[in-house]
Amino acid sequence: MSALAVLIALGPLTGLAVALAGARARLAGLAQVTGALVAFGCALALLVELDGHPPLAGWDGFLYVDPLGGFFAMTVAGVTLLAALGSVGYVCAEEDSGGFSGFQVRLYYAFFGLFASLMLAALETGNLGLLFVLVEASTLASAALVGIEGRSRSLEAAWKYVIISSLGVTIALAGTLFLFYSGSALHLGSNLGLTWPYLFAHAHALAPQPLRLAFLLAVVGYGTKVGLAPMHTWLPDAHAEAPSPASAMLSAALLNAGMYAIIRFLAIAHARLGGTYPRAVLLSFGFASIAIGALFMVRKGNFKRLFAYSSVEHMGIIAVALGFGGTLGLYGALLQMLNHALAKSVLFLSSGDVSLRYKTREASQVSGLLAAVPVTGGALLLASFAVLGSPPFGLFLSELTIVRAGFASASPVFPLLLLFLLGLAFVAFARTTAGMVTGQPPDQLTSPYRSKAVAVSTAAPLVLGLAALLVLGLWIPVGLDTVLRHSIAVIG
Amino acid sequence: MESLSASSAAGVLLDLSGVLILLLAFACLASKLFNRYVVYYGAQSVVLSFAAGTAAVAFHSTELWILAALTLAVKGIAIPLAARRLLITRLALKRDAAMSTGLSTSLIAGGALTAFAYLVIRPDLLPHGTVAAAVVPLSTAVILLGSLSMVVRRHTVAQLIGWLIVENGVFLGAITLVATFPFIVEAGIFLDIVAGVLIMVVFVSGLTRQLAEASAAELRELRG
Repeated sequence: MSALAVLIALGPLTGLAVALAGARARLAGLAQVTGALVAFGCALALLVELDGHPPLAGWDGFLYVDPLGGFFAMTVAGVTLLAALGSVGYVCAEEDSGGFSGFQVRLYYAFFGLFASLMLAALETGNLGLLFVLVEASTLASAALVGIEGRSRSLEAAWKYVIISSLGVTIALAGTLFLFYSGSALHLGSNLGLTWPYLFAHAHALAPQPLRLAFLLAVVGYGTKVGLAPMHTWLPDAHAEAPSPASAMLSAALLNAGMYAIIRFLAIAHARLGGTYPRAVLLSFGFASIAIGALFMVRKGNFKRLFAYSSVEHMGIIAVALGFGGTLGLYGALLQMLNHALAKSVLFLSSGDVSLRYKTREASQVSGLLAAVPVTGGALLLASFAVLGSPPFGLFLSELTIVRAGFASASPVFPLLLLFLLGLAFVAFARTTAGMVTGQPPDQLTSPYRSKAVAVSTAAPLVLGLAALLVLGLWIPVGLDTVLRHSIAVIG
Repeated sequence: MESLSASSAAGVLLDLSGVLILLLAFACLASKLFNRYVVYYGAQSVVLSFAAGTAAVAFHSTELWILAALTLAVKGIAIPLAARRLLITRLALKRDAAMSTGLSTSLIAGGALTAFAYLVIRPDLLPHGTVAAAVVPLSTAVILLGSLSMVVRRHTVAQLIGWLIVENGVFLGAITLVATFPFIVEAGIFLDIVAGVLIMVVFVSGLTRQLAEASAAELRELRG
């Protein structure tokens, strides 16, 4: 089983290897897809292996995968696969049009592979210090992706991203230190003592005061990566300026990895401090994020910024669901994470196709998508509805679960407020995307792709992602249900 | 892990180093010259490495010795040298004018944040009489001061130094609170800092070049 876990983290590095060997866009893209496919396959296999077995642990606790980690690894590997598929067409088109030099193409795949691999490794470690190291390293790798186009706007976005996230993650390190300090009574001398399973099992012996501080610092610190308001300010710029497949990775994989770290801290805090304090923290940050996300979506402009604010909103929803807690709340949160990852991948990947064809990222200059490019336009429309939580897509089901969890756990004010904000977000978001897909397309649209095969490869991740979203909206596969229940059992 | 008492020789030395580190953070906040930022940061890292050495003697820990050596080599020497060579000399940076508040205002805010750090950390969080109870408020204050200088300064180089000061504050807390991370984690943190500084240097240089080109283009457009 350890071999599987190692393969998951090393798989995406094929992109790095081929890029270093000097491959061109097409070959490097295919290598990246193969690597991502290996990682995704191994993640699925590992989840099957974990069923009915104790968590995978080894190397003094540096390697630790339980169903929760396995579930996140599967989500991130799945997003990596979709984004790698989307990268093939995007980077080929950029190379052909002269947007990317050969050096930029190699840089893109090198950092894409590194970014995915570091994130997957972060999900597979039990040592909380190493978790910090890997999350910070993945920030740096993804910052290089954000700034890759080298224009002053993208460099500025990359700078904002790297400086705010680094500061945030450093604060999370301070939180980790206070967590270890709260365990002074446990004499955490050995490496094993600093791991999550050990601390969780001995949560009753932790000192409550430092633990409260540790949890708050961790939520602020890792919350900066997640994009919880008011630490979200880097997010819209970075998502708007990165190449679209990299935006998909940021929104659908990186934010989830940050949320994973928060969930680990939440489990320990919940076990020692009870529900009230963590709930207050998570509900505050969660509702602030939903409100900010929904309000900023009202403004029309760059459509990638719109999707980015929608990510802020959705991370807020997940934080609120974690705050509601209970089996229902956690189930809804995990399901929401998977669904949001799928929907946002489709949205950002289709936005890549749109910006290549229309040569703009302004929503007001895009019209008639459905008539001009039926596949992309249709995917954008359907994914918009999915991300807004309309049936029959997965997010409807998960948001319904979260609202139910709210009514079951807290005062009815919170779920009602949640419903109101969701309605606001619906109107704000749909106002922009509806204008993009309908109407008359401009006359002089040309395909940015040189060959038919490349054009098909851009449609593949859109169709795959939407199909998965539709399945999850109609029926939750038995295997997934088991994994979710086991994940909740790990932390609850 | 045994906790160090504040009245032992090592405890007094650690406390003293903490105070020096805080003062150097204040010095950085009060300065307007890019050269000084780097000098103060370097000095702060040297003191931090001394503090790590003191803790290494007190705890008889090899890992802390390695940490002290790494701190001296990477943060005390390599990063200041690289920052001076790659940023300040190459981009001809002298005086930092991009501040959103005056120096006196930011110093008063810094004083208030230090008091806040003591108020938050002192009362019931840490057992009295240990060195941690004396040093952790100091390190919290250093973290807050570093963040403050990132907020009030708009120049990228100043923000970079601010982040490094925050990092130093966390390390000061780390050596008194937990004393040891596993070596691989320590090494990873250092690797992250080095990679972070490198990538930030690339962004800063790129941004400065683009800004220079942009202003040159404007100058050309306005001729005649």
